[in-house]
Formats: sequence, C-alpha cells, structure tokens
Amino acid sequence: MRRRLPEWFVLLLPAFIVIAAVVLIPLIFSLYSSFTPYKLTRPSTLWRWVGTYNYQKILTDANFWAAFGRTVLFLTIVLNVELLLGLGIALMVNRVTWGQRTLRTILMFPMMFSPILVGFQFKFIFNDNVGLVNNVLQSLGITDMALPWLVDGRLAMFSIVFAEVWMSTSVFAILILAGLFAMPRDPLEAAEVDGCTPWQTFRHITLPFLMPFIYIAMTIRSLDVARAYDIVQIMTGGGPARRTELLWTLMSRTGYVDARMGLANAMGYVSIILSILFTIYFFRKLSAARAEIGLEG
Amino acid sequence: MKDLRAFRMLMASVAAVGVGAGASAAGEFDGVTIQAKLIGGQQYEGLYARIADWEAETGGKVEISSKKSHFEIDREIKSDMAAGTTSWCVGSNHSSFAPQYEGLYVDLNAFVPAETVAEFVPGNINASTVGGELLMLPRAQFDVSVLYYLKSNYEDADKSAAFKEEYGYDLAVPETWDQVKDQAIFFADPPNFYGTQYAGKDEAIVGRFYEMVVAEGGNYIDETNKPIFNSEAGQRALQWFVDLYEAKAVPAGTTSYVWDDLGQGFASGTIALNLDWPGWAGFFNDPESSKAAGNVGVAVQPMGSAARTGWSGHHGFSVTDDCENKDAAVSLVMFLTSEESQLAESAGGSLPTRTAVWATNVEAAQNGDDAFRAEALAAFAEGAKHAFAVPPIPEWGESTNIVFPELQAAIVGDKTVEEALNDAAEGVDELMREAGYY
Repeated sequence: MRRRLPEWFVLLLPAFIVIAAVVLIPLIFSLYSSFTPYKLTRPSTLWRWVGTYNYQKILTDANFWAAFGRTVLFLTIVLNVELLLGLGIALMVNRVTWGQRTLRTILMFPMMFSPILVGFQFKFIFNDNVGLVNNVLQSLGITDMALPWLVDGRLAMFSIVFAEVWMSTSVFAILILAGLFAMPRDPLEAAEVDGCTPWQTFRHITLPFLMPFIYIAMTIRSLDVARAYDIVQIMTGGGPARRTELLWTLMSRTGYVDARMGLANAMGYVSIILSILFTIYFFRKLSAARAEIGLEG
Repeated sequence: MKDLRAFRMLMASVAAVGVGAGASAAGEFDGVTIQAKLIGGQQYEGLYARIADWEAETGGKVEISSKKSHFEIDREIKSDMAAGTTSWCVGSNHSSFAPQYEGLYVDLNAFVPAETVAEFVPGNINASTVGGELLMLPRAQFDVSVLYYLKSNYEDADKSAAFKEEYGYDLAVPETWDQVKDQAIFFADPPNFYGTQYAGKDEAIVGRFYEMVVAEGGNYIDETNKPIFNSEAGQRALQWFVDLYEAKAVPAGTTSYVWDDLGQGFASGTIALNLDWPGWAGFFNDPESSKAAGNVGVAVQPMGSAARTGWSGHHGFSVTDDCENKDAAVSLVMFLTSEESQLAESAGGSLPTRTAVWATNVEAAQNGDDAFRAEALAAFAEGAKHAFAVPPIPEWGESTNIVFPELQAAIVGDKTVEEALNDAAEGVDELMREAGYY
C-alpha cells in the first residue's frame, strides 16, 4: 500500500513551495554567491569557489566599516528625532477636538510620496546655487555665501536626515496616536484626583503605556532606515568623497555598477547583522515595556 | 549545440557577404523581426525615425524592446548577461562601455566589408575595437569636449588692463590649462558668478582627470594595466582641480555636478569658461534656453604642460552573438551608420564618425550663414584631432568608482593630492591584480 503524505503537509505544501521559490532559494543562492567572485558580466565566475575571500576583503575594508558606522549613526539620529517629533505631534493631535480626522489624514501626506521624489525635492531645495534654502538665506541677509548643503560633510548628513525625518515622522506619530487612543482613562483620572502635575502624569502613566507602541514603531523604522537608499542615492549618491556613503549606496554600486555581485552579497550578509542586532534590542525593550504596564512579556 | 552555433555562424557569414556585396535586396528580410535595445533621448530619436525606411526597403521589422539612457541600458544588459537572455539582436553601445561585455557581441570584421569599415574615422574604429574585434559600428554621436566661453569677458578694456596688471600677460581666450586657472580665479565673483566648473563625480570627473593627466605628460595606466596616475603629472593634474575649488572659482556644489548640471550652469550665464560636449552647442546659443545666447564663443580645448588632449567617446551599434538573424541585424546596423544616416543625424548638431561626413559638414558650415555653427564645428574638428578613448579594458568603469571618491577627497580638502592619488592607485592596483593582469 502506498503511504500517503499527512494531510496537513499536503495542505501546506503550496505555501512551502512558494516560500522556498521566492525566499529560501534566492537566499541560499545569494549566500553561495558571496563565496564566489561572481561578476554579472562574466557568468562563469559563479562557479569559482573562493572561500571567505570576499568576507576577508570586507572585514579589512576601511570604506565598508566607515559606511557601516555612518549607517548606525544615521539610524540613531533619524530614529530619535522621529520619535521626539512623532511623540510631540501625537500628543498635540490627541488634544485636538475638532477636525482631528482631517488632521490625521494630512499627517500622512509625506508618507504617500515616493522616496525618490522626496529625494529630488530636497536635492533641489538644498542645491547650493539655485536651491530654495540658500536663496531664502541670502534674501533675508542671513548669509551672502552659497552654503554647500550637499557637499559639506556635516551639512550633507543633516540634509539627508532632514529629508528622511520629513518623510517618515508621521509613522511614529500615527502609531503613538493609536497608543493614545487605546489608553484607559482611569489611571489618568486617578492621577488627576491624586494631584499629579501634567509632567508627572505624562512621565509615569502616559509614557510607560506608550512604550510598547514606540518600540514597535522603532523596530519597523529601524529596518526601513537601515535600508535607506533612494533618498541618499538621489541627493548625494553617497558623496562627495564618501561623506554620506551608507551601506546600501555602497552595496548597490558594488553589485550593479561594478557588477561584483559576489562581493555585494557578502556585504549584504555582513550588514544584516546590523538589522538583526537592532531588532533583537528593540524586541527585548518591547517585552520589558509590556511587562512594566502589566502585560505579559 | 556548439555545432549548431558554428553552422549558424557560417550561414550568417555567407548571408553577410551577400549584404556586403551591395545594397540589401528588396524584401530580403521578409518576415524577419529584429529586437533592438537602444539608447533613448531627444537627440537620438531622429535617427530611429529612419528605421521605417530600412523596414520598407528590406521587408524586415524592428522591434525596439528597450529605450533607456546609457547607464540604464548598461545595467539591463548586465542583467541579461547574468540571466542568459541575450538573444535580442541589436544593441546601442558606447566606446566607454564596450570592453565590459565579454563575449556578448560579434566581431563585425567578419560581417562588414573592409572598405565600409575604412570609410569611418580610423580613431573611432580603433576605439570600437577591443582585443582585435570590431564590436560596434560608430554612429554620428562622437563626443569630444572643447572650450565654450563668454565673449563679453574679453571685450572689456578695464578687465583686460586689470588682468594684465595682476598676471603679467594679455587677457585672451586661454590656450593652456594654467591660463584657464588664472582667468577662472580672476573672473570669479561667488556666489553670483564663477570662473569655471567641472564634473565632480562618477566617471565624469575621472574622465576629466584622465585627459588632464595625459595633457601633463602622464597616463592613467601603463601597458600592463598597472595604475600610474599617481605620478607627478597626475598630482599636477589633480592640483588644478583643487586650486580652483579652494579659490572658490567653481561653484561649491561642483563635486555633485554631472553633465546636465554643468550645461544648465553655463546656460545660466554665470560661468565664464566651460569645457563641454558638442551636444550643448545649439542649446548654449539658443535664446529660448540660454541666457548666454549670442555671447558664446567656442575654441579648441586648452593644452596642458605636455600636450593638447581630449577624452572622447562615441556611440555605436552592436550585434549580439546569440542573434538568430545576424545578417538582418548587421544590415540594420550598417543602415543606421551609413553615410546618409550620419548626414541626417549630424544635421542636428552631433558630430559624425565618417570621414566624408566630417568634410561635407565643415564645408557646408563655412559656406552657410550661421557663423556660430561654423565656429563651433571648426573648434570640434580641431579638437577631434587630439581625441582618444578610455583604456579598452572591462575594468575602466569599475576603476572610476574607486578613483572618483579619492579625487573628491582631495578637492574638498579631506586628503592631500598625493595621499588621495596613492589611495586611489592602491585600490585600482588591487582591482587589476584581481582581474589577473599581473
């Protein structure tokens, strides 16, 4: 008698096949290719095994680690600024009693733009010669110089952070607002009766309650920002002199322009560590924050 | 499989001899469809309109499956090579990109009669030949840069006197790169007016640096492909970029500029001297698009301490090795690069790559009533004499990605000229070693 496959397995099989085809196989393939000198223009290089050569090259490559460090710095600044602004906006919107829905919709406008368009928009705004910012500064008599917004190391980083924050602060605002809506009124009323100041109420009741929402937003955004590519590529292309080079601009240039897919994949695997570390950190914080407000870890 | 390919090659060669022997016979390619991937853009469309004539003449059909900028087409072709989907037939190519596509395109020497090849400018054929194989036929899109300048700067007696007092020689359209530097610093009045500008990133700045290194008597790589641009000549060349940046004679954002930014900059009338490509000539002198119109002069590119040089490139068309109807594809490529096609295309202002078309155009301009066009064409004809293409190795493009951030580092002051060039040379050296040159 022929043995039949268990029913649960047969039912799940299509899902397994699809996931294997679109996730697992490409993942294994890219991992394999990171151990080869694979060049897109020379398909035969895919079958030459070079062991950990690409990884050794990356570990000793100062430019890669500079880009890695810059990406961590970029992530840290962007996430914190977005959190502060998002929290502020959410608290203010929460107080609004009339037209709140319209306000919430307006809040989401920047998220609706393609990051590439946001990149072009800010590239123009920060252009040193014909850009809006310099024209305003010069017309107001604040400076008579053409400030090199996209050239100077610090200014260029600032411009990119500004564009990223402009586009995505509303993610934080919306998620925190959801937290505020879900918040029970009793502890707030009790605090009022007990004579807490608004700051005490915020610090000891509102904020702990919002923390799980904040960490969820942080986790989502940290994965987003670690993949930052479009805005940076359009605004500065990682330049000048690698001053704004982030992991993804470096990887895409290595993989698609230089056609060194093996090396680029190795870079990808090393930089995944970054995303994993951030995710683990935020999930731990999330569990701790949930435990603090009495939800199970 | 191999036998089949060899048989197809043989058949194609036989057919190509037929094509080469005379014009394509009417209806010769009835029912044949040629897939093409072409560079897109306003200035290239005129030629594609002629494809209908080839279709009518031969009965073949052309299906343009992709029309993109060169950089996008390049990426698409690389993906095709990786995926093995290279059975489309005709592709736009460029002398700077051609060496990368190893094994993708056929050697046209086997398909195109030698006398037809001889009708092209020899330098262009050399730059289309990689490892002895003619990988493309050049179209009338030859690029070399000459000096565009604002004439009014040389017609002002006060300026001339002040310049002579400061620099000790007469103010005239610059003959050397040192004079360009002096004048650029003299004319600059930031942030309203700049002496000059240069491409500041990607292959663009490396190409400019390359022609400057050769102008100073050095070279980019030696005969074994080892980088030698960190020589003294290289340092002198890079110092020129650094000095202009430090003196604020170029816009602060110049390190992020590429061709469009430069063209728009000169057209805004705020740049005194501008080394630029032929495609801009009409744009610069058109009152609709340029504030500098009527005030634009064109002169041959200045020389360095050793020679006058011109980094050049040209577009062309190639036929893939996997194409099923190579005879039809070659016929289309020959049609697109024929004398008639080049005359039609270069009438729009681009430079031809056929000797006879150059002669016809220069003569027509001299006899015509457009003095600006005659001046520009004469400058380009002179400039083309000093033109050379990038080193014909697949690693050229990749090496520029190593070199340009280092050039920028020197320009913006993060590194000294010597440090930057040594770091760049070290990176390119490693690349060449990995590629197995030495």
